[in-house]
Amino acid sequence: MAEVLRMIALSPTMSEGRIAKWKMNEGTEFSSGDVLCEVETDKASMDYEAPTSASLLKIILQAGGTAKVGDPIAVIGQKGEDYASLLKERASEAGVAEKKAPGQQPSKEVSQKEKAVPGKTEQEPGSTPESAPQSDTENAPPRAPKASPASVGAAPRQTPQAPASVPPSSPLARKLALEKGIDIRLVPGSGPNGRVVERDILEFAERPKNTVVPEVAPQELRQGPTVIQPNMKRLVIARRLSESFFTAPHYFLKKKINAEALLELRATANAGRPAKLSFNAFLMKIVAEALVRHPEINVYWRVPAAASAADAAASPEPPTAMRPILEQRHSIDVGLAVALPDGLITPVVRDCNLKSASDIDAELAQLIEKARGGRLAPEEYEGAGFTVTNLGSFGIDEFTAIINPPGSAILAVGAIVKEPIVGDNDVIRVAQTLTLTLGCDHRSIDGAVGAVFLADLARMLENPGMALV
Amino acid sequence: MVLMAEMTYREALNRALDEEMARDDRVFLIGEEVGEYDGAYKVSRGLLSKYGPKRVRDTPISELGFTGLGVGAAIAGLRPVVEWMTHNFALLALDQVVNNAAKLRQMSGGQLSVPIVFRGPNGPAEFLAAQHSQALGSYWMHVPGLKVVAPATPADAYGLLKSAIRNDNPVVMLEAELMYAWKGEVSEQEFLVPIGKARIAREGVDVTLITYSKPIRVVEEAADRLAEKGVQAEVIDLRSLRPLDEETIVNSVRKTGRCVVVDEAWPLASPGATIAHLVDSRCFDVLDAPVELVSGEDVPMPYNHTLELAAQPSVEKVIAAVAKVLYREDV
Repeated sequence: MAEVLRMIALSPTMSEGRIAKWKMNEGTEFSSGDVLCEVETDKASMDYEAPTSASLLKIILQAGGTAKVGDPIAVIGQKGEDYASLLKERASEAGVAEKKAPGQQPSKEVSQKEKAVPGKTEQEPGSTPESAPQSDTENAPPRAPKASPASVGAAPRQTPQAPASVPPSSPLARKLALEKGIDIRLVPGSGPNGRVVERDILEFAERPKNTVVPEVAPQELRQGPTVIQPNMKRLVIARRLSESFFTAPHYFLKKKINAEALLELRATANAGRPAKLSFNAFLMKIVAEALVRHPEINVYWRVPAAASAADAAASPEPPTAMRPILEQRHSIDVGLAVALPDGLITPVVRDCNLKSASDIDAELAQLIEKARGGRLAPEEYEGAGFTVTNLGSFGIDEFTAIINPPGSAILAVGAIVKEPIVGDNDVIRVAQTLTLTLGCDHRSIDGAVGAVFLADLARMLENPGMALV
Repeated sequence: MVLMAEMTYREALNRALDEEMARDDRVFLIGEEVGEYDGAYKVSRGLLSKYGPKRVRDTPISELGFTGLGVGAAIAGLRPVVEWMTHNFALLALDQVVNNAAKLRQMSGGQLSVPIVFRGPNGPAEFLAAQHSQALGSYWMHVPGLKVVAPATPADAYGLLKSAIRNDNPVVMLEAELMYAWKGEVSEQEFLVPIGKARIAREGVDVTLITYSKPIRVVEEAADRLAEKGVQAEVIDLRSLRPLDEETIVNSVRKTGRCVVVDEAWPLASPGATIAHLVDSRCFDVLDAPVELVSGEDVPMPYNHTLELAAQPSVEKVIAAVAKVLYREDV
């Protein structure tokens, strides 16, 4: 019987996918396991394997089109079968067939490798302010809860925000998965529409390299480590941050500031507000003002993909095309690192210098809520010119952070703590202090340049009125 | 040592009637052609000459009339066996069965009882067209106050008819024209088969096939073919539709995790649909696939023989359903 083939979640966080390429034409017969098409998820390009043996009767979603998980992308069945009624049924389903990929780079062939390193080869997104995500405060939703440590350990199983990430599964498969301590979302389903069935769990349990989180009794702890298959998001985090840490020569500048004026500003602004503006929103606003005054920090250091460090060392004068370039950014796009149960993500607020702290706060809330649902689009987390990361809520005094490429600097913000300071007339008093650590890429920002910026930023944070000057 | 005799389903019913009429002189047989003609399907052969016309009554073609006569006789203290030439004709007698036989015990607060058996062939045979090829088990299974049995072997036909005659409640028995000639071993020693107890016709671990009455042979052949492919199907012959032996069903599906129900009735509001629901609600946590129902097609029976066969459960349909619940294409 002909049936509709739907987009499936090809990674635990995927909520929609873009068909990069159909690997076969309509009418082609295929066997279970054959690759039907290549799908770009929010993080990587994945093969969509046939769940069964049949023929590709009709392609509903052409290459370049995007479908949410669960949306139809094709009709499969026996050759010559009539599937018109199926298509008719689907017509009521939100006209997915007409949905096309957003206008960006439809013709430009981006290879998988390049695609997997967001921002590396893409157009400068910050130079087109109209492409910025919605920032209209009137449309801003109520504040989403801040990323908090409590959410990090939360059980991800069947969270209502991300129903797409729970695959269809039989009750028996779910029961077995629970008994065996297997996260069913990691199990590839072999049933219709990717349904996870008993044999999938049994096979998964027998494979040596899979996520098995057994309830271990103490005497079993000696059995050795449990091997966990990282999800796509974790692999991307690993690759990007390794690349940053091992290619960008980091140095760190530290500055303790008196946070009282900033806290007072926040308290004044929040007086009478039902939903309080977050500390991070003020921080990002003032960082943006500092970046306006120090454009030399708001730069990208770009290395052409082929010009590895070894090549550069072998030849002092590489061909022009292979030379690294320095890009001066003209918009102030600030990223904020957000911890989520399945890994870190950095939503970006565009043009922070043009927005008020309340605008920034509303936009952050919206972005974080989307991120929790796994629905953050690449243009919402890529292309930060500068990044802020704040572990203050964890009580961390100070820390160093790894630069978020292709940006050149990152500000690590510690906890607000009461400390004795030397005040006016050398009087020692207790004040609320905060330690900032600026991490810079020495290839694009020299130490003195970073130091001037940090000193200026500190002055503005201690005296927020300076942002007006 | 228990001696076994091979006999037909028809002979097994005849033996049960004979033994019960000999045992209890309140038992009598009534229906069209049951006497002089020895029964339309020869089930009552020889009974008229043995027990006389008072206990083997031929009637005019008047299902509502002689069914009501039986109900009245049962209330008055006799134990009638009413033979319907087929269940298609029994539609005329629905009112007596549903509104009187099934209700009087409860509505009289137990002062009345209706110990009666209604029996006759049910379901499609061959070349009998739309009006005479209907599987109407759900008409009786639907009604509280009735018991419904559907033996699929000569031994069960013998043992269940005897139990039905001895039961103090109205019992409807579903037989089948094509089953009357089926042969099987029946103990020469007298025995009863309890009402409400299913039979595990074949043990298996991979999938539970549930059926009753005539489709048992289709199901057993499917199970043989599946065994060649390494699939061990467990086959449950329900024997009784009301009360249903839920424990046997549930225990089997808990073992296999997969279930296919095979029923020659139409799919809507059918015995098979009810059983599929029962399995779904009581075995939900252990199911690896939705319960499949192989039913008669949802059409009046075509007269064209090719279509007539296509409208009924077949070995191929059962195997396809098993492949679906096993998520396998190679069976």
